[in-house]
Order: sequence, then structure tokens, then C-alpha cells
Amino acid sequence: MPKPIRYLIYAAAIALLAYNSVYFKKLDEVKAGNTVFDAAGYAKDFWEKKLTPGLSKAMNLNALTSLLKADKEKAFNEHSHALGIGNIRYFLVKGRGVVTDVDENEVSVQLTDANGKAVTPQVRIATEYIFGNAVRDASGAIDINAFANSMDFNNVSAEINKIIREKVVPPFKSKVQKGDRVAFHGAIELNRAHLQTGNIEIIPVSLQIEKP
Amino acid sequence: MKISILYRTALFCIFFGLGFIGCKTKESKDRPKKIAIVISTLNNPWFVFLAQKAEEKAKQLGYESKVFDSQNNTAQETDHFDNAIASGYDAILFNPTDADGSIVNVKNAVSAGIPVFCMDREVNANGIATSQILSDSYSGCVAIGKYFVETLNKKGKYVEILGMVGDNNTWNRSKGFHSVVDFYPGLKMVAQQSADFDRNKAMEVMESLLQAHPDIDGVFCGNDAMAMGAYQALVASGKADRVKVFGFDGAEDVVKSIQDGKILATGMQFPEVMAQTAATFADEYFKGKRDFPRKMPVAVEMVRKDNVENYAAYGEKE
Repeated sequence: MPKPIRYLIYAAAIALLAYNSVYFKKLDEVKAGNTVFDAAGYAKDFWEKKLTPGLSKAMNLNALTSLLKADKEKAFNEHSHALGIGNIRYFLVKGRGVVTDVDENEVSVQLTDANGKAVTPQVRIATEYIFGNAVRDASGAIDINAFANSMDFNNVSAEINKIIREKVVPPFKSKVQKGDRVAFHGAIELNRAHLQTGNIEIIPVSLQIEKP
Repeated sequence: MKISILYRTALFCIFFGLGFIGCKTKESKDRPKKIAIVISTLNNPWFVFLAQKAEEKAKQLGYESKVFDSQNNTAQETDHFDNAIASGYDAILFNPTDADGSIVNVKNAVSAGIPVFCMDREVNANGIATSQILSDSYSGCVAIGKYFVETLNKKGKYVEILGMVGDNNTWNRSKGFHSVVDFYPGLKMVAQQSADFDRNKAMEVMESLLQAHPDIDGVFCGNDAMAMGAYQALVASGKADRVKVFGFDGAEDVVKSIQDGKILATGMQFPEVMAQTAATFADEYFKGKRDFPRKMPVAVEMVRKDNVENYAAYGEKE
């Protein structure tokens, strides 16, 4: 074989090897692949696209407490959610009532029925201690398998609670007074094995003070 | 003639191979499935209970099982895994000794086609174990943190006694607690020290902390053994009535101490739920299911004086 052709083949082989040995990628693409989970972004997206539009599915709290008394298993099986397993379950609820007390940590509300008549139980709307997984889990719209590790979904709860603490509570807390009529959407936590419906705490998702 | 011999040899090999595979398949289908239960240590009653409940559930589901004690030693754990793989176990219910050191064992078993279901402790690798069923320590400590803030009325000095610093549970509990308490600037953590989940070490740590900080109002401990140790030190220094102690686990002596008003609260874990879920997942795996959650948190319930009557050690009362 003539020398030039041999050298040409050698050069082509080396070029081929070199081409397949080195890869060039844009730095932006590499950085995008290594990004940490954006819990704040996930929480904002969840709030705007899943939770708020899904509030229409919230169960009336009066109806829920009646169902819990009549058929606890049905109430939990059909209306509660939780990302994990165990006795702690969460419900997305709504209701109306009259404010009976306002303190630094919560607003106590006497629930009313469709005719404005007082019904049991009295509930507490949390305005200070906005913690835990109630709002994250209650809608049932989050799939645990979407998270690579447990700290990611813990951080989602923290970010959702931050939205409530910063956007939902302040305009309500600054105006609410004893005797006001209020409407709420929110999440509650109940223990399936040790059910207590006499002291329900609502973590609010939306709060309105209605005209008397 | 040469081609014919080759042809006949090839045919013989194919039939022999098929026959061999057929025998093996028949044997695998006929014999009852075996489950290995590999536990970090049987020197701790909490883990003994976990192993017993896993064994009971496996038996109830119709499987043979055997418990292996790793004695908190990853080398021993590796031997158990090698043994389980060589002995033809079909699934491993696993309580890891070390979140990092145990990864290789899980990988080896899964590579050998054996599903691994972690119980209570996790391995630091996503998607390696078939599923990890773990106490939701973070959320449990969020609840404890909230109660801590309420009982201390948002102000005061406190110390935190951590578990083993290399254990994920230590930090999940600490992070959950601080995710609430750090919102309140009136609550000042004056010391944070490890006592390795050990009661005696916690007592020593608390004794020395009390010398440096005699005016603390609360103690948060990463497990109940340390809460009991801290409480002993507080009794010895005459401060037990003033300083509020919080633990985590749901151990028998702490449940009793909550009843007696000595300890304020603990986070009750449910080893039975974790063990039963792991065994049930193994059963479902044998029946063809493959899409298991990578991590399955098990709710932790806060136990305090006003609900302690509902609880006994390791879970609810029967």
C-alpha cells in the first residue's frame, strides 16, 4: 500500500478515536443536570396550579364531622390523604363561622350551617404555628415518588407553610375581630386511631372576612 | 461428517441447557420463598421487636424466614448478605448498620436479583434498595418543636443533645425540631452536643452542660435513652422540676415518665408498622409488583401527658 494512503488511514483512525474520546457540552447544560431540588419553586407551582384550583373539592367541615361520627372509616378512606403510612391523615376542608376569640396564636371560630345557625364543633384557625405537612398532603395532589429523597418533600412543606405565613395570614390577622363572620379553606390533621374532633386546628389556605 | 458432529454437539448442548433451566425453574417454583431479616443489632430491645414483627409477618404470609444479627458491624453485615445470596434467599428485610457502609451490601443483593426492603434506617443512595420504609422523624420532630415552643412560651435557653453524628436519623430529627424552634428568636440554644444515642453518655453530657449553663429551661434529645440520661442529671442537680425534657422514640420508660410528669413529650415510632410493611412489600414483589415507593415515611405521633393513655412502648396499646 502506498505510504500516503497508509498515513491517511492512520490519521483517519486517530481522528476517529479522538472524536469519540472527547465530548463537549455547554456549561449551562451541565449545571442544569446538577441542580438541587427547588423546593420554593415546586411549592409555588403546587400552590398556583394544584392547590388553589383544587379548593373546590374541599369538604365542608360540618359534613365531615358528621360523617366522622357516623362512619369514621368511610370518612378517612374517601376524604383523607397522606404521603406516608400510619394513623396521621389530612383533610382539605372549607367552612363558615363566627369568630369567638382572637389571640396571638389562633382565631377561634364557631362554625355555622348554610342558614347561619351555630353548629358544633368550635374550631381554631392557626395564625402563628403554621408548621407540618397538613396543606402539602391534604389535597392528595402530590405523589411521593416525584421526590428523590425525603428532605425534598420536607422542604416542600416548609415552603408551602412559608407562603401561608407570608400571604394568607397577615391580611386576615391584621383585621379580624371577635364577632366577625369568616369563611375559610384549609387543611386539618386527624389521627385515625385516636380521633378527636372537639379541638380541630385548621391550617388556612384561604381566609375571608365576610360582611356581617 | 465434521459439520454433522458439530451440529449434533450443538443440539445436545441446547437440549441439555434447556433441561437444566427447566429443572432449576421447577425447583424455584416449588420450594417456599425464603426471607432473610438482617438487623443492625439485637442488643437493643427496639430492634429485637422490629425483627420479631418482621418474622411474624413473613410467617403469616407463608414464607420461611431467618433473622441475622449484624452486631452493629458492617463486616458482619456483609457476611450475612453473602450468606443470604449464596443460600438462595428470595428477599431481604434490612435494618442497615451504616447509611453509607451498607450501600454495597444492598447493591450486591439487588444485582443478584434479590429485592431489599430497608426498615427504619436508610442507606444514602437513591434507587438502590427496592424500597425504604422509614419513620418520618423530621415531621415527628416538627410536632415536638411546636410543642416545645408552646410550653416554653417562645422564650428561654435550651440545649440539644444529638444522637450519633453519622446517622441520618440524628439530623432528620434535629432539622425537624429546628425548622420550628429557629423561628423564635426568644429561644436560644446555648449548647448542642452529641451523646451517641446513649443514656449514660447523655447523663455525663448533661452534667457538664449544667455546669456551664445552670439557667437552661429546656432540653431536646434525639432519642428517649438520652432523654432519660438527661433527666437523671437534672434530678441529681435539683433542676428536674424546672427544666423541660423532650425525647424521641416511644420507649417504655419515657412513656411512663410522661405519665408521671417527668418528661414532657416524645415522638412515638411504630416498628411494627415498618416491619409489617416491609414483609408485605416482599410478598407483593414475589407476586410480580415492581413499582414500589423509593421511600415510604411512617407517621410519628407525639405523645404527651394529655394523650399518653393511648400509647405503650413501640406503638399504641392493643
